[in-house]
Amino acid sequence: MDYVQMNILESTMVSICREMGITLMKTSYSTIFNEALDFTCALADRNGDMVAVAEFCPAQIGGMPLLIKTCVREIPLEQIEEGDVIVHNDPYRGGLHTPEHTFFKPFFVDGRLEGFAVAIGHIAEVGGMVPGGFCGEATEIFHEGLRVPPVKIKRRGVDNEDVWKIMLANVRTPRYNYGDLRAMISAVDLGVSRIAGVYAKYGKANVQQTIADLMDYSERRMRAEIENIPDGIYEFADKVEDDGIEEREFDIVVRAHVRGDQLIVDYTGSSKQARGPINATLGVTWSATYNALLHLTDPTIPKNSGCFRPVKVVAPPGTIVNVDYPAPEVGGNTETHPRIAGTLLGALGQAIPHRAMAAEGSTHANFVFGGTDARTSEYFACYDLESNGWGGRSFADGNDSCDSINGNCRITPVEVFETRFPWRIERFGLVTDSGGAGKFRGGLGYQKQMLCLNEEITASQMSDRYKLAPWGLHGGRPGGKAATLIQRAGTRDWLTVQQAYNKVSPSKYSNITIRQGDRVILQMPGGGGFGDPAERDPAMLQHDLSEGYVSRDGAAREYGVTEAAE
Amino acid sequence: MKFSANRLYVEQYLKCDNCGILLYEGEPQIADAEAGKKFCSDWCVDWYRTETMKRFGRDAG
Repeated sequence: MDYVQMNILESTMVSICREMGITLMKTSYSTIFNEALDFTCALADRNGDMVAVAEFCPAQIGGMPLLIKTCVREIPLEQIEEGDVIVHNDPYRGGLHTPEHTFFKPFFVDGRLEGFAVAIGHIAEVGGMVPGGFCGEATEIFHEGLRVPPVKIKRRGVDNEDVWKIMLANVRTPRYNYGDLRAMISAVDLGVSRIAGVYAKYGKANVQQTIADLMDYSERRMRAEIENIPDGIYEFADKVEDDGIEEREFDIVVRAHVRGDQLIVDYTGSSKQARGPINATLGVTWSATYNALLHLTDPTIPKNSGCFRPVKVVAPPGTIVNVDYPAPEVGGNTETHPRIAGTLLGALGQAIPHRAMAAEGSTHANFVFGGTDARTSEYFACYDLESNGWGGRSFADGNDSCDSINGNCRITPVEVFETRFPWRIERFGLVTDSGGAGKFRGGLGYQKQMLCLNEEITASQMSDRYKLAPWGLHGGRPGGKAATLIQRAGTRDWLTVQQAYNKVSPSKYSNITIRQGDRVILQMPGGGGFGDPAERDPAMLQHDLSEGYVSRDGAAREYGVTEAAE
Repeated sequence: MKFSANRLYVEQYLKCDNCGILLYEGEPQIADAEAGKKFCSDWCVDWYRTETMKRFGRDAG
């Protein structure tokens, strides 16, 4: 094994993936791509194993082997030709959720299919019951938009127009979808062209051997990390507060078995799958498990499928962590993923507290909306994701207002949001006291107040943490909860969605009508605290008070600090 | 995953009753008639018997 060459090749492949992502960002039409960066770009071998990935959305990396395995079952390798591009979004064929479209472009060396350039991205509008793809009251997959099994959208370099027509006829914003789909194709085109250059420069046998060495190296590094965790069985549980259909809680239960250099993550005991759209596919649960593990281990381990060889996931079918057809699942990838990852962080955090984090807000808000823009007469649809506070850690406060750990996305800047959609953002600020108290407090959530400028906007949401706050760790207190509030034009009262629209859930609903002059507040949760609040450094608390992160009342209530004592 | 004869649509989504991975038609599967389950590997059979049944008995998955 030549470590120098391995390092050079790994860095080169990661750079290719980054360049693919930048291409996608710069050529796409929708804010979900060009502002929020809700995509992942990677290179995979012919078996579907990921060999390199860029630092975009980690929610999407675990599903890659499942996606490619299903793909080559339906389109055998011998039927895949140079210039083909395959698109696939079906959650029941290894996918993550309906909006997540995966594009594979094969690359060939000396006439043999060597692997794929892969772009996975969240298409903002996919048809179905609601504009924006997140139907909080869906009860079957068919409510959640168009399912696309693995099909060739390009065949030998030429557009398959039949596929394009079907995909664009079933969405509300075909012009934007066309641009976003083209951006994803540009990304995989670039990936194939760049990796071909790598094979040409270093030689086929050399690259194949180095990739194999690289994956073995990642496996060894991950095994060494797991071996440093004391053997044992670590348990933890969290809840999704409702499913939009029934007002009851759903359990995510994990038992993490550490056995030498192996980790078995068993989710048996989690709730049966829900009627509403909070269910996770197996790809989501794999991704969430790997995501948590990557958070707990050395970040310098090269990210590829070798990392995950020491990990076995047990996710019984028919449960909230492995949904059976044809139940809905769109929220599984955004809301249940961080809850699954959080349970594993909570479990292993008992063994390695110095690396653990209290609960982050673990919601993306998923406020989706659409309508006909009076300014342009064109239909618009937006998937608006928001950020939340992260949990406190053993050495630092949680980050304020970051995207949930499965997203690694950015929020859309106010100026862009107002230009693209008929809303005015009237207020956008951190929420005082939303960070859970602790020796190291949770990060703060924020509040965004929007005024509707269009005659009518149809909105839906698929969120959580409105009733059950993000938990603290090792004596830390819970973070602040989320909220969605509506103020109708000409009134002063702020109402929950349940009050205003008679919905079952305050956080999961579909197709409410917002009218011109109505206001909406999205409040994002804060992170849980870490450690006993009584142990907080007085200087840090004083800084919190002076910056307005903690109020005088909050300091007295949570930290026992009165003005006289300051 | 069982496809139709003409392979144009899926007739059944089959999964391992332990780890939950999709079982493709034609791939080796292990049926446990006594438990009425199907598994993808000996490892899953063993885990189901030694861990899941032990924890949940007849109520297991």
